Amino acid sequence: MKIEICGLNQIYPNGNHALKDINLELGTGMFGLLGPNGAGKSSLMRIIVTLMKPTSGVVLVDGLDIQKHREKLRGILGYLPQDFRFFTALKTWEFLDYSGSLAGMKNRKERIAEVDRLLDQVGLLEVRDRKANKLSGGMKRRLGIAQALIGNPRIIVVDEPTTGLDPDERIRFRNILSQLSRNDVIIILSTHIVGDISSTCHGMALLNKGDLVFNGSPENLVKQAEGHVFRMNLSPHEYDIVKEKYNVISTVPVENGWEVQIVSDETPEFRATAVIPNIEDAYVYYMEHKLQAYIID
Amino acid sequence: MSFLHNAGTVAKYEAVILRRSWFFRLFAVGALFIFTFMNIGLFSPVGDQPWELMSIPSTIPLINLYLLNIGQAIVVIFLAADFLRRDKKLDTNEVLYTRSMSNFEYVMGKTWGIIRLFLGLDIIILCIGLLMNIISKNMSIDILSYFEYLLIFTIPTIVFSLGLAFLLMSVIKNQAITFLVLLGIAALDMFWLWYRAGSVFDYMAFGLPVYKSGVIGFDNAGAIIFQRLLFFFSGIALVMSTVLIFKRLPQSKVHTSIAVALLFISIAGAAFCGFRTYSTLIGNSETRKRVTETNRLFENRNFPVVTEASIDLIHKGESVEAGAYLKIINNNSEPLNSYLFSLNPSLIVNKITAQGMDLEFKINNHIIEIRPLSVLLPGSYDSLKIEYSGKINEAYCVPDISNNLKDNINRIAMLNVSKRQFFLTGNYLLLTPETHWYPVASLNYYPSNPARIKIDFTKYTLRVRSAKGLVAVSQGKRISDSDGFTFTPESPLTGLTIAIGKYRSDTLKVDSVTYIVNYIAGNDYYKKDLTELKDTLPNLVSGIMRDLETSFSSRYPFKTLSLVEVPVQFYSYSRQSTQTRSEVQPSIILVPEKLSTLENAGFGTRFKSQKKRMARNNQVITDKELKIRLFNDFMRENFISGTNTIFARDNRSEDIYTEPSRYRLGPSFYFYRNNFYSSEFPVINAVFESHLQHLLQQGPRTGYLSMFGSLSEIDKANLILRTKSFSELLAENPKGDTIRVVLGVKGDWLFNLLRSEAGIEDFNKWFRKYCEDNEFRSVDIMKFRNDLKERFGFDFYPYLDKWFNGRQQPGFMFSGLKVNEIVVDERSRYQVTFFASNPEAVPGVFNISFRGEGPGGSGRQGRPGAAGFSPEGPGSGQAFMQGRGMEASDIEKIVLLEPLESKIITLITDRQPRAVIINTLFSRNIPGEINMPVGDIIRTRRNQNNVSSAEKIVSSSDTNDSGDIIVDNEDPGFSSGIETIEAPLKRLFGITNRRSKTYMQVGQWNIPEYWQPVVQTSYYGKYVRSAVYKRAGSGDRPITWTAKINVPGYYDIYCYVGKSNDRRRIRTDRGGGPGAPVVPEGEQEESRFKDFHYKVYHDDGIEEITFDYENAEPEWNNIGRFYLSKDTAKVVLSDQSSGRLVIGDAVKWVRVE
Repeated sequence: MKIEICGLNQIYPNGNHALKDINLELGTGMFGLLGPNGAGKSSLMRIIVTLMKPTSGVVLVDGLDIQKHREKLRGILGYLPQDFRFFTALKTWEFLDYSGSLAGMKNRKERIAEVDRLLDQVGLLEVRDRKANKLSGGMKRRLGIAQALIGNPRIIVVDEPTTGLDPDERIRFRNILSQLSRNDVIIILSTHIVGDISSTCHGMALLNKGDLVFNGSPENLVKQAEGHVFRMNLSPHEYDIVKEKYNVISTVPVENGWEVQIVSDETPEFRATAVIPNIEDAYVYYMEHKLQAYIID
Repeated sequence: MSFLHNAGTVAKYEAVILRRSWFFRLFAVGALFIFTFMNIGLFSPVGDQPWELMSIPSTIPLINLYLLNIGQAIVVIFLAADFLRRDKKLDTNEVLYTRSMSNFEYVMGKTWGIIRLFLGLDIIILCIGLLMNIISKNMSIDILSYFEYLLIFTIPTIVFSLGLAFLLMSVIKNQAITFLVLLGIAALDMFWLWYRAGSVFDYMAFGLPVYKSGVIGFDNAGAIIFQRLLFFFSGIALVMSTVLIFKRLPQSKVHTSIAVALLFISIAGAAFCGFRTYSTLIGNSETRKRVTETNRLFENRNFPVVTEASIDLIHKGESVEAGAYLKIINNNSEPLNSYLFSLNPSLIVNKITAQGMDLEFKINNHIIEIRPLSVLLPGSYDSLKIEYSGKINEAYCVPDISNNLKDNINRIAMLNVSKRQFFLTGNYLLLTPETHWYPVASLNYYPSNPARIKIDFTKYTLRVRSAKGLVAVSQGKRISDSDGFTFTPESPLTGLTIAIGKYRSDTLKVDSVTYIVNYIAGNDYYKKDLTELKDTLPNLVSGIMRDLETSFSSRYPFKTLSLVEVPVQFYSYSRQSTQTRSEVQPSIILVPEKLSTLENAGFGTRFKSQKKRMARNNQVITDKELKIRLFNDFMRENFISGTNTIFARDNRSEDIYTEPSRYRLGPSFYFYRNNFYSSEFPVINAVFESHLQHLLQQGPRTGYLSMFGSLSEIDKANLILRTKSFSELLAENPKGDTIRVVLGVKGDWLFNLLRSEAGIEDFNKWFRKYCEDNEFRSVDIMKFRNDLKERFGFDFYPYLDKWFNGRQQPGFMFSGLKVNEIVVDERSRYQVTFFASNPEAVPGVFNISFRGEGPGGSGRQGRPGAAGFSPEGPGSGQAFMQGRGMEASDIEKIVLLEPLESKIITLITDRQPRAVIINTLFSRNIPGEINMPVGDIIRTRRNQNNVSSAEKIVSSSDTNDSGDIIVDNEDPGFSSGIETIEAPLKRLFGITNRRSKTYMQVGQWNIPEYWQPVVQTSYYGKYVRSAVYKRAGSGDRPITWTAKINVPGYYDIYCYVGKSNDRRRIRTDRGGGPGAPVVPEGEQEESRFKDFHYKVYHDDGIEEITFDYENAEPEWNNIGRFYLSKDTAKVVLSDQSSGRLVIGDAVKWVRVE
């Protein structure tokens, strides 16, 4: 199963060019969409889940244009929007039941069993009869993912799923997604939290202001940053100089000064040692250096 | 199948979400609470059980769903708003939007979810009603009607409201504006649209008549279906439009196509149903127009008189087939070249024969014009047979009514009921003469003179064939055989009525009259309720009939009196040509099924409640006595003296008035027995009818009409006649009770005129005999004129021209009332003298009666030996009947005053009078009934044997020549300031308040904030004894009297206090007849009028005077002496007071010599 995105453009009536000639190909497994706010991630996702029609270009799922075959696509889709708040009047299980039923699960018995299984999976079985307004923020997100998973969707689109979650919840969430990604499904994960991607995605795209600026594996992204991430111990005075000159990724106070990590194209002064970059370092490096160069070009 | 699954899923959870919303919960709990209590309060054994609601079982679901529907139509707007509000929060619904379902499925699911929620609520409330229906022993159950009303009310209203709300929400996208628009539409329907354009805008069936009869079911099933389908289809069209413009990418071309198809089908369906609904209205008005125009062509043609008619009628489902053999006479002065008859235009004439030969005929809408074999000479007879078949056109029956549902509204409680003029179904038939179901030799309406009527007294023989098991009821003696029923004539009738249905009958013969009750099988509930009366019934009925005969001074002219139960939707419109409604036919009264709308017909419930009340008051009465009382109440309130209160309001004015009960038996004593006609004054029969059937209510308003400040009927009529003549008024065809009150006043005037010259007793005796001799005959007024002239030497005819065409009214001034106690034939008697003048240019008549001292209070005194049964009877709430009918026993004297004539009137009475009551009949005097309290009585002990009642013409006129300056509130010197208190919104919509009325009486509530002119006999005035009053205010709306002072000097200034020093009787609805306790008149107003604040402008400045109105003497009160130079004098009354009301009347300046 694969999703092909060809020449996708989205221009809103106010003239905002949200997506600019996007070309992508996604296979099974988890795919991360990374980019700052306003990069066009949500627009892309809304087009993929058929909430929106692109201005031009097509999205093909196994060769079928989703705009022409919405019924088919929606039948295999699970979607968790960014700001997911469901009807507070419904109980946890009822909402899942509602979603399950619309996802094509006609047999009530099977549906209820699936609802309970998913509630168990996301750790909400205990609160199955609790009304939505009584759930914590994390529980609501978990319920959101549960509803996106009900009915065994082949394509799961999750938009900023970890926003507002505490670290435990976030880990738990990543685990659920990575478990799912082992099945023959496509999971598109949109996030501006780089950490969400590193551990689970086999492929990723970086969007900036509607442009696709990177498409590849997270390792590739990291690779591009190798030799460009440095660590150094600085006195307060030196720190002031470095801060002005370089992109500081992290600052940790140490005795007599700061331990600072920066990205830079050349090896900086001040006793800098190159370190192996992680994906966050790579993202910063990419956005701040590669992209600047790209724009200047 | 996936459609059902998806839509069902959405519906299920939408319903859950809405059910859990606080708004719906609040509504549902409120509705359950209110409707449970309403059902218990109305229908349960512990409730009120009003008979009008209890009698027909379909009322329970009807009233429940009618009220609930109004609430739902509004609540649905708020709930549907949620549709958009939630859908606007995209993230909430996006998880659903990305599911595989079409927009069609989603919107349909939502719609169904809301509908099923409301249906559920409705069903629960219906179950509560049904439970009451089951436990209430007095009611049968019409289970089908529960479903029918659900379909009639709930479904179309909710579908339409939802559709409209959805679409508006989708288009306007602003919740607040959408709410306003939707609520505006709902309010518009309830207040303005429901009665317009034949219900095509009435989406919640607010005014649609959907009352279901227990006899025939829905009378207008087709109309109801089309009207409701109009909104159902419109609703579906709106929902489909919502599907198509729904803000979600569609996924199913098939479903989109279905939505488009449904949209077009629904639009077509709605257009068709709307057209059908509207075209019925248009069709009706076109029929009426056609009838009127056709009548116009024939109204000056001569018609024959039908003396005998033999009709064969075959009832064939929804049509009839008939042959009418008619014997006619030419009563005209000219030969008849053609015979004219009217026949309902939906009946098709097949053949007309005479002496075995076919006659040529022409049909012009409903007029049959027949060419006879030879010319019919005056006074000659001929006969012919007309064969016809078909249906009945209802609009034909009443050509002069408007299409507006609101005019002549027919309601049971708050529920609109149809106004059917006939019934013609497979199981039931009712045809009254007004339908012209047989050829009638007259027009049903004379456009150039709607008061005209031609009446034939005909001997009818009727043979009826109908389906098996159905029984025919009509006038005459009934013989039934295997072929059907034959009715042979017992007396000539003005028209023939036929009813066919599952009738059963009970018969009672008392004296010479056979009383027959024809009831629909199973509807004889009253037998059980009044079992104990079985043996006393003959006596009761006989007593009532005797009373009636005495009251109308004639015997009941028919051999039978039948009550025939007819479906509740039967309704008669008031007509100008007669005040008799078609519920009362010669020897037949058509009563509504189970007597539902009749007063006091719920014998069982009334018995229980009265019994309880009596027990509470420690009154002892046997069950039988109580039932006798209930029976008598029922008979009197409906058939003898009852009235209905009518609330009428149009764009210009509002009115509340009473009209006589439409079931009154009065017509049997005049309208169906005698007829006087005049080609010159075609209104003459209506005028005789009004007077002789006591159709005008005399005396001041009683009960809550007086609390509303309504004027008496005489005053109302005289105010109407101030600017136009009787004939002009009739041509205007006014609404409401105008015609009735004017006919009443004109009739009373005419008969008082006749009596004034012929003598009360002598005229009454002669006229009684005259009517008897001319029973069932039409009498030309010229013949009556000659006969009267021959007997009494008095010609009334010259008076008629001014009476009919004149615009002027006489006016009376009375003064100088003196009462002397004298001795006549050794007996102490009282001589009453006063001065009366008529300064106007037309003759006037007034009558005089006394209010006297006597055992038990101050009732009016009647002439000895003339006291009879008042048709109102004790307990009817109407105590006066001065100058009305043939038995107006209280009139002492009737006086005719020619133009500019003055008379000194002298009367001798046996009992000491406390007041002289003068009824000025048709005059400029407002109020028309003048009460002159008797002051000191001078005792003259001398024997005066030669004194008698007399009228002496004198030359002087009663003018104020004392030199006093009087300014009344009617005079130009009086000013009540500018009145600008109407709300701008009211003005915008043309809504006026009661100020549109010229005069009122001081009301108990709804006291105006402006100076409203009011009339009362104790107020000051020349003809109009009026004052102005208003609610006490802050002092910013004063009234001013100004006068020109010609001679400087000291003046005593007086203000007029319109208090009567008389005592007046309390009239109550029950037992307010003579002998009721009395209270001084002033006491009633005691707490309402207190301190008044006058400002007197004089040479030394302004004097502020606080005047104690409460304790002031009646009439003129001196408020001070002031020096006034040659200038304008001014007195101002502030509207400030510690009492509730302020009243201002007249101010007088008297120069001090």
